[in-house]
Amino acid sequence: MKADTLNGQLDPLILATIAEDPAHGYAILQRLRQRSSGAFDLAEGTIYPALHRLERDGLLSSSWAVQSGRRRRVYRLTRAGRMALRERRRDWIRFASAVEAVLG
Amino acid sequence: MSWLERLNDELSGLGLTGRERRRIVLELRDHIDSEPGCEDRLGDPGELAARFGDELAADRTRRGTYYVFGALAIAAVALLVSQAAIGAAGSYPGFDRGLSLALFVPAALGMFIAPQVALVAGTLAALRAVRRRKARILPAAELALIRRRSWVGVSAGIATAAGLELYVVNFSSVLPGWWLALVGSLSAVAAAALLAAAATLVRAGAVATATSGGAGDVFDDLPVIRWQWLQSHPWRLGVAASLSVGVAMTLVGWHAEHSLIEGIERGVLEGLAAAVGFALLGRAIGVMTPPSRWADPSPPDE
Repeated sequence: MKADTLNGQLDPLILATIAEDPAHGYAILQRLRQRSSGAFDLAEGTIYPALHRLERDGLLSSSWAVQSGRRRRVYRLTRAGRMALRERRRDWIRFASAVEAVLG
Repeated sequence: MSWLERLNDELSGLGLTGRERRRIVLELRDHIDSEPGCEDRLGDPGELAARFGDELAADRTRRGTYYVFGALAIAAVALLVSQAAIGAAGSYPGFDRGLSLALFVPAALGMFIAPQVALVAGTLAALRAVRRRKARILPAAELALIRRRSWVGVSAGIATAAGLELYVVNFSSVLPGWWLALVGSLSAVAAAALLAAAATLVRAGAVATATSGGAGDVFDDLPVIRWQWLQSHPWRLGVAASLSVGVAMTLVGWHAEHSLIEGIERGVLEGLAAAVGFALLGRAIGVMTPPSRWADPSPPDE
Protein backbone atom coordinates (compact mmCIF):
# COMPACT_ATOMS: atom_id res chain seq x y z
CA MET A 1 0.00 0.00 0.00
CA LYS A 2 1.54 3.32 -1.10
CA ALA A 3 1.80 6.53 0.86
CA ASP A 4 -0.98 8.10 -1.25
CA THR A 5 -3.44 5.44 -0.08
CA LEU A 6 -2.36 6.03 3.50
CA ASN A 7 -2.86 9.74 3.15
CA GLY A 8 -4.85 10.95 6.13
CA GLN A 9 -4.52 7.62 7.95
CA LEU A 10 -0.87 7.81 8.94
CA ASP A 11 -1.51 9.90 12.06
CA PRO A 12 -3.96 7.50 13.74
CA LEU A 13 -1.78 4.55 12.71
CA ILE A 14 1.18 6.13 14.48
CA LEU A 15 -0.93 6.91 17.55
CA ALA A 16 -2.20 3.31 17.65
CA THR A 17 1.32 1.94 17.24
CA ILE A 18 2.60 3.58 20.39
CA ALA A 19 -0.63 3.50 22.40
CA GLU A 20 0.65 0.70 24.65
CA ASP A 21 4.37 1.19 24.50
CA PRO A 22 6.49 4.29 23.75
CA ALA A 23 8.91 3.90 20.85
CA HIS A 24 11.46 5.69 18.66
CA GLY A 25 10.93 6.41 14.96
CA TYR A 26 12.54 3.27 13.59
CA ALA A 27 10.66 1.01 16.05
CA ILE A 28 7.37 2.69 15.12
CA LEU A 29 8.02 1.92 11.48
CA GLN A 30 8.88 -1.70 12.28
CA ARG A 31 5.67 -2.09 14.26
CA LEU A 32 3.63 -0.57 11.41
CA ARG A 33 5.19 -3.08 9.03
CA GLN A 34 4.68 -6.04 11.33
CA ARG A 35 1.10 -5.23 12.27
CA SER A 36 0.13 -4.63 8.63
CA SER A 37 2.00 -7.76 7.53
CA GLY A 38 4.15 -5.57 5.31
CA ALA A 39 1.19 -3.93 3.55
CA PHE A 40 2.28 -0.38 4.38
CA ASP A 41 5.09 0.47 2.02
CA LEU A 42 5.67 4.16 2.59
CA ALA A 43 8.83 6.21 2.17
CA GLU A 44 10.30 5.68 5.62
CA GLY A 45 11.30 9.31 6.03
CA THR A 46 7.69 10.48 5.91
CA ILE A 47 7.08 9.17 9.41
CA TYR A 48 9.34 11.81 10.98
CA PRO A 49 7.49 14.95 9.83
CA ALA A 50 4.30 13.22 11.02
CA LEU A 51 5.83 12.52 14.46
CA HIS A 52 6.99 16.13 14.79
CA ARG A 53 3.57 17.42 13.74
CA LEU A 54 1.74 15.17 16.20
CA GLU A 55 4.03 16.40 18.94
CA ARG A 56 3.41 20.05 18.00
CA ASP A 57 -0.32 19.32 18.13
CA GLY A 58 0.09 17.97 21.64
CA LEU A 59 -0.90 14.39 20.77
CA LEU A 60 2.60 12.99 21.42
CA SER A 61 5.43 13.93 23.72
CA SER A 62 9.04 12.91 23.24
CA SER A 63 12.38 12.86 24.98
CA TRP A 64 15.88 11.58 24.36
CA ALA A 65 16.69 8.20 25.91
CA VAL A 66 19.68 5.88 25.68
CA GLN A 67 18.63 2.49 24.29
CA SER A 68 21.03 -0.23 23.16
CA GLY A 69 23.88 2.22 23.73
CA ARG A 70 22.36 4.76 21.32
CA ARG A 71 20.68 8.12 21.97
CA ARG A 72 17.16 7.92 20.57
CA ARG A 73 14.12 10.14 20.50
CA VAL A 74 11.32 8.18 22.17
CA TYR A 75 7.69 9.13 21.54
CA ARG A 76 4.72 8.49 23.82
CA LEU A 77 1.04 9.29 23.69
CA THR A 78 -0.30 12.21 25.70
CA ARG A 79 -3.78 12.31 27.24
CA ALA A 80 -4.96 14.36 24.23
CA GLY A 81 -3.36 11.76 21.96
CA ARG A 82 -5.32 8.94 23.65
CA MET A 83 -8.56 10.86 23.22
CA ALA A 84 -7.75 11.61 19.58
CA LEU A 85 -6.98 7.93 18.98
CA ARG A 86 -10.31 6.84 20.49
CA GLU A 87 -12.11 9.34 18.28
CA ARG A 88 -10.25 8.25 15.12
CA ARG A 89 -11.02 4.60 15.92
CA ARG A 90 -14.73 5.38 16.21
CA ASP A 91 -14.64 7.36 12.93
CA TRP A 92 -12.82 4.53 11.17
CA ILE A 93 -15.26 1.87 12.34
CA ARG A 94 -18.19 3.98 11.13
CA PHE A 95 -16.48 4.66 7.80
CA ALA A 96 -15.43 1.01 7.26
CA SER A 97 -18.94 -0.31 8.02
CA ALA A 98 -20.48 2.22 5.65
CA VAL A 99 -18.06 1.25 2.85
CA GLU A 100 -18.66 -2.44 3.51
CA ALA A 101 -22.41 -1.92 3.44
CA VAL A 102 -22.13 -0.35 0.00
CA LEU A 103 -19.53 -2.72 -1.45
CA GLY A 104 -21.28 -5.76 -0.06
CA MET B 1 28.11 13.78 0.19
CA SER B 2 26.18 11.36 2.42
CA TRP B 3 22.39 11.19 2.68
CA LEU B 4 22.51 12.79 6.14
CA GLU B 5 24.81 15.61 4.98
CA ARG B 6 22.44 16.36 2.13
CA LEU B 7 19.49 16.39 4.54
CA ASN B 8 21.39 18.72 6.87
CA ASP B 9 22.20 21.10 4.00
CA GLU B 10 18.64 21.06 2.67
CA LEU B 11 17.22 21.80 6.13
CA SER B 12 19.68 24.68 6.59
CA GLY B 13 18.78 26.03 3.17
CA LEU B 14 15.12 26.15 4.17
CA GLY B 15 15.90 28.10 7.31
CA LEU B 16 15.60 25.26 9.81
CA THR B 17 18.46 25.95 12.15
CA GLY B 18 19.67 25.18 15.65
CA ARG B 19 17.98 22.61 17.85
CA GLU B 20 15.18 21.83 15.40
CA ARG B 21 17.60 20.86 12.61
CA ARG B 22 19.95 18.96 14.93
CA ARG B 23 17.06 16.93 16.31
CA ILE B 24 15.84 15.91 12.83
CA VAL B 25 19.33 14.92 11.71
CA LEU B 26 19.99 12.94 14.92
CA GLU B 27 16.69 11.05 14.58
CA LEU B 28 17.41 10.16 10.97
CA ARG B 29 20.98 9.17 11.89
CA ASP B 30 19.58 6.78 14.49
CA HIS B 31 17.22 5.38 11.84
CA ILE B 32 20.10 4.74 9.42
CA ASP B 33 22.26 3.26 12.18
CA SER B 34 19.39 0.88 13.02
CA GLU B 35 19.37 -0.50 9.49
CA PRO B 36 22.50 0.45 7.54
CA GLY B 37 21.84 0.94 3.83
CA CYS B 38 18.20 1.99 4.27
CA GLU B 39 18.78 5.50 2.86
CA ASP B 40 16.93 4.70 -0.38
CA ARG B 41 13.78 3.82 1.54
CA LEU B 42 13.95 7.08 3.51
CA GLY B 43 13.22 8.99 0.33
CA ASP B 44 14.91 11.99 -1.23
CA PRO B 45 16.53 14.21 1.45
CA GLY B 46 15.44 17.36 -0.40
CA GLU B 47 11.80 16.24 -0.45
CA LEU B 48 11.93 15.20 3.20
CA ALA B 49 13.45 18.54 4.23
CA ALA B 50 10.80 20.38 2.21
CA ARG B 51 8.08 18.38 3.98
CA PHE B 52 9.49 19.41 7.36
CA GLY B 53 9.78 23.03 6.18
CA ASP B 54 6.27 23.20 4.70
CA GLU B 55 4.60 21.83 7.81
CA LEU B 56 6.70 23.93 10.17
CA ALA B 57 6.08 27.13 8.19
CA ALA B 58 2.30 26.59 8.28
CA ASP B 59 2.33 25.72 11.97
CA ARG B 60 4.57 28.60 13.04
CA THR B 61 2.62 31.11 10.96
CA ARG B 62 -0.66 30.02 12.53
CA ARG B 63 0.78 30.08 16.05
CA GLY B 64 2.43 33.47 15.47
CA THR B 65 -0.91 34.82 14.29
CA TYR B 66 -2.68 33.52 17.41
CA TYR B 67 -0.01 35.12 19.62
CA VAL B 68 -0.42 38.41 17.77
CA PHE B 69 -4.20 38.26 18.24
CA GLY B 70 -3.76 37.51 21.96
CA ALA B 71 -1.30 40.40 22.35
CA LEU B 72 -3.69 42.70 20.47
CA ALA B 73 -6.42 41.71 22.92
CA ILE B 74 -4.16 42.90 25.78
CA ALA B 75 -3.59 46.19 23.93
CA ALA B 76 -7.35 46.50 23.45
CA VAL B 77 -7.88 46.04 27.19
CA ALA B 78 -5.28 48.75 27.89
CA LEU B 79 -7.06 51.11 25.50
CA LEU B 80 -10.55 50.34 26.83
CA VAL B 81 -9.43 50.74 30.45
CA SER B 82 -7.81 54.08 29.60
CA GLN B 83 -11.06 55.30 28.02
CA ALA B 84 -13.34 53.86 30.69
CA ALA B 85 -11.25 55.31 33.54
CA ILE B 86 -10.80 58.76 32.01
CA GLY B 87 -14.23 59.80 33.33
CA ALA B 88 -13.19 59.01 36.90
CA ALA B 89 -9.92 60.89 36.26
CA GLY B 90 -11.79 64.09 35.41
CA SER B 91 -12.51 63.62 31.68
CA TYR B 92 -10.22 64.36 28.70
CA PRO B 93 -7.94 67.32 29.27
CA GLY B 94 -7.81 69.83 26.39
CA PHE B 95 -4.97 69.16 23.97
CA ASP B 96 -3.41 72.55 24.82
CA ARG B 97 -2.97 71.51 28.47
CA GLY B 98 -0.36 68.87 27.69
CA LEU B 99 3.41 69.23 27.52
CA SER B 100 3.66 69.53 23.74
CA LEU B 101 1.65 69.22 20.55
CA ALA B 102 4.51 67.10 19.21
CA LEU B 103 3.56 64.50 21.83
CA PHE B 104 -0.20 64.94 21.51
CA VAL B 105 -0.51 64.37 17.74
CA PRO B 106 1.28 60.98 17.61
CA ALA B 107 -0.46 59.98 20.84
CA ALA B 108 -3.89 60.75 19.35
CA LEU B 109 -3.06 58.94 16.10
CA GLY B 110 -1.84 55.95 18.11
CA MET B 111 -4.93 55.89 20.30
CA PHE B 112 -7.62 56.55 17.71
CA ILE B 113 -6.37 55.42 14.28
CA ALA B 114 -3.90 52.60 14.99
CA PRO B 115 -6.43 50.49 16.98
CA GLN B 116 -8.74 50.34 13.97
CA VAL B 117 -5.94 49.16 11.70
CA ALA B 118 -4.91 46.62 14.33
CA LEU B 119 -8.48 45.37 14.69
CA VAL B 120 -9.01 44.87 10.95
CA ALA B 121 -5.59 43.35 10.14
CA GLY B 122 -5.33 41.23 13.31
CA THR B 123 -8.86 39.89 12.96
CA LEU B 124 -8.41 39.03 9.27
CA ALA B 125 -5.12 37.25 10.05
CA ALA B 126 -6.66 35.27 12.91
CA LEU B 127 -9.76 34.47 10.86
CA ARG B 128 -7.66 32.95 8.07
CA ALA B 129 -5.44 31.06 10.52
CA VAL B 130 -8.48 29.58 12.25
CA ARG B 131 -10.22 28.78 8.96
CA ARG B 132 -7.10 26.92 7.75
CA ARG B 133 -6.20 25.36 11.11
CA LYS B 134 -6.49 21.79 9.87
CA ALA B 135 -4.34 22.19 6.76
CA ARG B 136 -0.93 20.63 7.31
CA ILE B 137 0.57 22.62 4.46
CA LEU B 138 -0.47 26.00 3.10
CA PRO B 139 0.58 27.72 -0.14
CA ALA B 140 3.57 30.05 0.29
CA ALA B 141 1.48 32.98 -0.96
CA GLU B 142 -1.22 32.32 1.64
CA LEU B 143 1.34 32.07 4.46
CA ALA B 144 2.86 35.36 3.30
CA LEU B 145 -0.60 37.01 3.35
CA ILE B 146 -1.35 35.76 6.87
CA ARG B 147 2.04 37.00 8.08
CA ARG B 148 1.59 40.40 6.37
CA ARG B 149 -1.79 40.82 8.06
CA SER B 150 -0.22 39.83 11.38
CA TRP B 151 2.68 42.26 10.87
CA VAL B 152 0.31 45.11 10.09
CA GLY B 153 -1.76 44.17 13.14
CA VAL B 154 1.20 43.90 15.49
CA SER B 155 2.74 47.16 14.19
CA ALA B 156 -0.55 48.99 14.68
CA GLY B 157 -0.86 47.42 18.13
CA ILE B 158 2.60 48.69 19.08
CA ALA B 159 1.62 52.12 17.75
CA THR B 160 -1.47 51.97 20.01
CA ALA B 161 0.60 51.10 23.09
CA ALA B 162 3.13 53.80 22.19
CA GLY B 163 0.27 56.28 21.70
CA LEU B 164 -1.02 55.51 25.19
CA GLU B 165 2.46 55.95 26.70
CA LEU B 166 2.89 59.29 24.89
CA TYR B 167 -0.53 60.38 26.14
CA VAL B 168 0.54 59.49 29.70
CA VAL B 169 3.75 61.51 29.33
CA ASN B 170 2.02 64.46 27.66
CA PHE B 171 -0.61 64.81 30.40
CA SER B 172 1.54 63.69 33.32
CA SER B 173 1.05 67.02 35.10
CA VAL B 174 -2.70 67.17 34.44
CA LEU B 175 -4.18 63.69 34.98
CA PRO B 176 -4.18 61.98 38.40
CA GLY B 177 -1.29 59.68 39.33
CA TRP B 178 -3.46 56.54 39.62
CA TRP B 179 -4.70 56.94 36.02
CA LEU B 180 -1.17 57.55 34.73
CA ALA B 181 0.17 54.50 36.60
CA LEU B 182 -2.72 52.25 35.52
CA VAL B 183 -2.62 53.19 31.84
CA GLY B 184 1.19 53.42 31.73
CA SER B 185 1.65 49.93 33.16
CA LEU B 186 -1.14 48.34 31.10
CA SER B 187 0.24 49.74 27.85
CA ALA B 188 3.76 48.61 28.83
CA VAL B 189 2.46 45.07 29.35
CA ALA B 190 0.68 45.25 25.98
CA ALA B 191 3.85 46.49 24.26
CA ALA B 192 5.89 43.64 25.79
CA ALA B 193 3.29 41.06 24.65
CA LEU B 194 3.23 42.56 21.15
CA LEU B 195 7.04 42.49 20.88
CA ALA B 196 7.05 38.85 22.00
CA ALA B 197 4.38 38.07 19.38
CA ALA B 198 6.43 39.88 16.73
CA ALA B 199 9.37 37.61 17.58
CA THR B 200 7.23 34.55 16.81
CA LEU B 201 6.35 36.08 13.44
CA VAL B 202 10.04 36.57 12.67
CA ARG B 203 10.58 32.89 13.49
CA ALA B 204 7.64 31.89 11.29
CA GLY B 205 8.94 33.89 8.35
CA ALA B 206 12.41 32.38 8.60
CA VAL B 207 11.26 28.99 7.26
CA ALA B 208 11.14 28.91 3.47
CA THR B 209 8.36 27.11 1.68
CA ALA B 210 7.59 26.86 -2.01
CA THR B 211 4.15 25.27 -1.99
CA SER B 212 2.18 26.59 -4.94
CA GLY B 213 -1.33 27.97 -4.72
CA GLY B 214 -3.17 31.26 -4.34
CA ALA B 215 -3.24 33.52 -1.30
CA GLY B 216 -6.99 34.16 -1.38
CA ASP B 217 -8.45 37.46 -0.16
CA VAL B 218 -11.04 39.02 2.08
CA PHE B 219 -13.89 37.50 0.04
CA ASP B 220 -12.68 34.03 1.03
CA ASP B 221 -12.48 35.07 4.68
CA LEU B 222 -15.88 36.77 4.80
CA PRO B 223 -18.24 34.96 2.40
CA VAL B 224 -21.13 37.22 3.54
CA ILE B 225 -19.65 40.11 1.52
CA ARG B 226 -19.08 38.02 -1.59
CA TRP B 227 -21.37 40.05 -3.84
CA GLN B 228 -20.35 40.22 -7.47
CA TRP B 229 -20.83 44.01 -7.50
CA LEU B 230 -18.32 44.48 -4.66
CA GLN B 231 -15.73 42.22 -6.24
CA SER B 232 -15.86 43.62 -9.74
CA HIS B 233 -13.75 46.72 -8.95
CA PRO B 234 -10.74 47.01 -6.62
CA TRP B 235 -12.05 50.14 -4.84
CA ARG B 236 -15.70 49.25 -4.33
CA LEU B 237 -15.16 47.37 -1.06
CA GLY B 238 -12.98 50.22 0.25
CA VAL B 239 -15.57 52.87 -0.62
CA ALA B 240 -18.41 50.81 0.90
CA ALA B 241 -16.39 50.13 4.07
CA SER B 242 -15.31 53.77 4.45
CA LEU B 243 -18.91 55.01 4.00
CA SER B 244 -20.14 52.46 6.56
CA VAL B 245 -17.48 53.56 9.06
CA GLY B 246 -18.33 57.22 8.42
CA VAL B 247 -22.07 56.69 8.96
CA ALA B 248 -21.54 54.50 12.03
CA MET B 249 -19.15 56.97 13.66
CA THR B 250 -21.47 59.89 12.86
CA LEU B 251 -24.25 58.12 14.76
CA VAL B 252 -21.90 57.22 17.64
CA GLY B 253 -20.55 60.80 17.81
CA TRP B 254 -24.07 62.27 17.61
CA HIS B 255 -25.22 60.05 20.46
CA ALA B 256 -22.11 60.60 22.62
CA GLU B 257 -21.76 64.35 22.17
CA HIS B 258 -25.49 65.14 21.75
CA SER B 259 -24.52 67.16 18.68
CA LEU B 260 -25.15 66.19 15.06
CA ILE B 261 -22.44 68.57 13.83
CA GLU B 262 -19.79 66.96 16.07
CA GLY B 263 -21.06 63.56 15.02
CA ILE B 264 -20.68 64.46 11.33
CA GLU B 265 -17.19 65.86 11.95
CA ARG B 266 -16.15 62.64 13.63
CA GLY B 267 -17.84 60.48 11.00
CA VAL B 268 -16.11 62.33 8.12
CA LEU B 269 -12.72 62.04 9.82
CA GLU B 270 -13.12 58.34 10.60
CA GLY B 271 -14.47 57.60 7.12
CA LEU B 272 -11.52 59.40 5.51
CA ALA B 273 -9.10 57.55 7.79
CA ALA B 274 -10.68 54.25 6.74
CA ALA B 275 -10.34 55.21 3.05
CA VAL B 276 -6.67 56.18 3.51
CA GLY B 277 -6.03 52.92 5.40
CA PHE B 278 -7.68 50.94 2.60
CA ALA B 279 -5.59 52.72 -0.05
CA LEU B 280 -2.32 52.24 1.84
CA LEU B 281 -2.79 48.72 3.18
CA GLY B 282 -5.58 47.20 1.08
CA ARG B 283 -3.34 45.20 -1.19
CA ALA B 284 -0.95 44.11 1.56
CA ILE B 285 -3.65 42.63 3.78
CA GLY B 286 -5.72 41.22 0.93
CA VAL B 287 -8.84 43.40 1.21
CA MET B 288 -8.49 45.01 -2.21
CA THR B 289 -10.07 42.93 -4.94
CA PRO B 290 -7.27 41.33 -6.97
CA PRO B 291 -7.43 41.62 -10.78
CA SER B 292 -8.14 37.87 -11.04
CA ARG B 293 -11.59 38.43 -9.54
CA TRP B 294 -12.66 41.38 -11.70
CA ALA B 295 -13.73 39.20 -14.59
CA ASP B 296 -14.64 36.05 -12.65
CA PRO B 297 -15.63 36.66 -9.04
CA SER B 298 -15.74 32.96 -8.14
CA PRO B 299 -13.33 32.06 -5.31
CA PRO B 300 -9.89 30.77 -6.32
CA ASP B 301 -9.00 27.15 -5.64
CA GLU B 302 -7.49 26.48 -2.25
